[in-house]
Amino acid sequence: MSTLRRRTILGGALGALAAPAVHAQGGKPHAGTTINASCFQTTYFEYLKNYFPQFEEKTGIKVNFTMQAFPVYNQRTDLELSTKGSAVDVCNVTFIYSGRWIGAGWFTNLDTFTRDKKYTPAEWEPQDFVGGAQSAMQNAKGETFGYTWEAGAMIAGAARYDLIEKAGLKMPTTFDELIKVCDAIHNKDNVAAFTADKLHHWNWIPYLMGMGGNVFKAPPENLTPTLATPQAAKSAEWYANLLVKYGPDGILSYSDDQSMRSQMSGRANIRTQAITWMVPLAKHAESTVRQTVRYGLMPAGPDGNFPGSNSHGLGIPAGSKKKEAAWEFIKWALSKETVSTVVKDHGYPSVCRMSVIKSPEFKQVLTLNGQDVASLFLEVLQLGGKTGYMKYRTVPVYPQVGDKINKAMERIATKQQAAPEAMKQAQAEAVQDLKKAGFKVDG
Amino acid sequence: MQALAVVLAILALSPFLWLLVMSFKTNAEIFRWPPRLFFPPTLDNYAALWTSEFRTSFANSLVVSVASTAVSLVIGVPAAYALSRWTTRAGASITLWILASRMAPPIAFTIPYFLAYRYLELLDTLTGLVLIYLTFNLSLVIWMMRPFYDQLPRSLEEAAWIDGATMWQGFTRIILPLSGPGLAATAILCFLFAWNDFFFALILTRTDAMTAPVAVVNFMNYEGWEWGRIAAGGTMIMLPVLVFSFIVRRYLVSGLTGGAIKG
Repeated sequence: MSTLRRRTILGGALGALAAPAVHAQGGKPHAGTTINASCFQTTYFEYLKNYFPQFEEKTGIKVNFTMQAFPVYNQRTDLELSTKGSAVDVCNVTFIYSGRWIGAGWFTNLDTFTRDKKYTPAEWEPQDFVGGAQSAMQNAKGETFGYTWEAGAMIAGAARYDLIEKAGLKMPTTFDELIKVCDAIHNKDNVAAFTADKLHHWNWIPYLMGMGGNVFKAPPENLTPTLATPQAAKSAEWYANLLVKYGPDGILSYSDDQSMRSQMSGRANIRTQAITWMVPLAKHAESTVRQTVRYGLMPAGPDGNFPGSNSHGLGIPAGSKKKEAAWEFIKWALSKETVSTVVKDHGYPSVCRMSVIKSPEFKQVLTLNGQDVASLFLEVLQLGGKTGYMKYRTVPVYPQVGDKINKAMERIATKQQAAPEAMKQAQAEAVQDLKKAGFKVDG
Repeated sequence: MQALAVVLAILALSPFLWLLVMSFKTNAEIFRWPPRLFFPPTLDNYAALWTSEFRTSFANSLVVSVASTAVSLVIGVPAAYALSRWTTRAGASITLWILASRMAPPIAFTIPYFLAYRYLELLDTLTGLVLIYLTFNLSLVIWMMRPFYDQLPRSLEEAAWIDGATMWQGFTRIILPLSGPGLAATAILCFLFAWNDFFFALILTRTDAMTAPVAVVNFMNYEGWEWGRIAAGGTMIMLPVLVFSFIVRRYLVSGLTGGAIKG
């Protein structure tokens, strides 16, 4: 009895001591907490870092934000997440790994925070994020594990549109028109007609789908690869020919940056790629094509238009021990106000908040060489969200399957193998990867 | 024959020359088409390295490489000598087991090392990197130095012992000075391994202990690569190795071949 009394007294005393401390935090329950956040090197967070003092003053949370090169970040984060580490409290959910990272349970379900008014006010509006971009941050049950800060929308960009006009043509809207334009402008003024990078598993798929093919039977439910179909072989041959016949020398080894530079330096003309790599043609100080660049929608195939769209988001690793403070950071970093500020102050072009995308400021930022590119951006994002054709990209085994696609395309383009054989081999290798990973495959 | 040698040398060195030239160009100049043979050189890329985190990473690389090389030699050289003079069967099998750390590709050790380092709080520390390189370099030191000691006649140290030297004195005053070329060759290989390592530095560091090879990769931003800085960083990374090799070049050839012929 006497122990109980002592405990009660001690508890009361501690409570009394703690009360002024809580009060002193001035409604900042996480004051004094330091969170570690991490992402790959990107301009969004370079810009956002300028506003960290505002966040720190508002919440009392200190942010230790580190950025690494894209492959370095992914490698390190994969290891950190797979070992359920607590070194990072907020990190980027990389699009190409999102299926694997979320599917393996390595991220925290953020619905816990967004559905509770204690954590998230109604005006934060999770529904304001573009649906197509957000789908990569959800699992099959529709639970959300990340909120997107970047949406990539594939469009067509012609660095030297003047050469197309000179040939009496316009931006190609179909695959047939693309070939016609390439035929007319190739090597005119020493400019190759087309350019791309070696990530064919991203660049080629819209052409595959446009010709009636697909990567998997019905992702994410049925992941049986469909790479050995006649449509896939036909499309692969067509795309390999596009690269070899109309691309600059060395195109098969181009990184995405080299491909962008080939356009910026006026060495190559048309490219179909995410908007992030298209905007610099009109805005980068080193671009020599600022006055001649023109944008359009990704050309459509006989079976429709399937421009690629991707997204990167912020999530909280399952191993984090500071989840509430981490959510405070995500809530602030991706609030309408913060995103809008980054757009207004720095002209960031790939945001995911619908309210910001529809704002006049964003339209101004994406008016490139006099052309309204904001509407193209929105159109592609909505297209991706409506039909869900991008689901192939977020299945856990896509990195491995994508690697087989890249190799098959290289074999076709370098004439080592005919398209049907190369795709048949890619199919067999993909099936092997899927089986190894424990997925059921038809037949 | 000499002309052929010069042509071959130029061919072999052309990637390095290309990297060097690129480091003095702006990004716009690097991608200029057609490329120009003569261009206005710039030191901007080198200046930019010195105002970025590359400077710290470069210092980290130096500290880690020198420390791991020194510790590997301090531990490994006496071990090699002892194993050389140890005439039991166990000596041979111990020498073989020492190679175990080199029997599997580094990727095989990734997760165990990562977990152990996290538990020991050695992640992102210079000490952690020195220890990792030590584990790999130790076997190299022992396997390279043992044949040197095998070929040195035992009568040399025996004579010293007769004159009153202790075993340690015999080793440090008689044997060690004779193994200079071997030490130089071994040191440079240890230094090169630690200096050029990318994999362990990638996995076991974050920001504080990041080394130069990883820092260079960080110039590959998501939205675009900084080619000029990558080239300048690559050139800077080559520099200490060239300087070190130049300093010890007198010993290098004899050191690399010295232990190869016994007796």
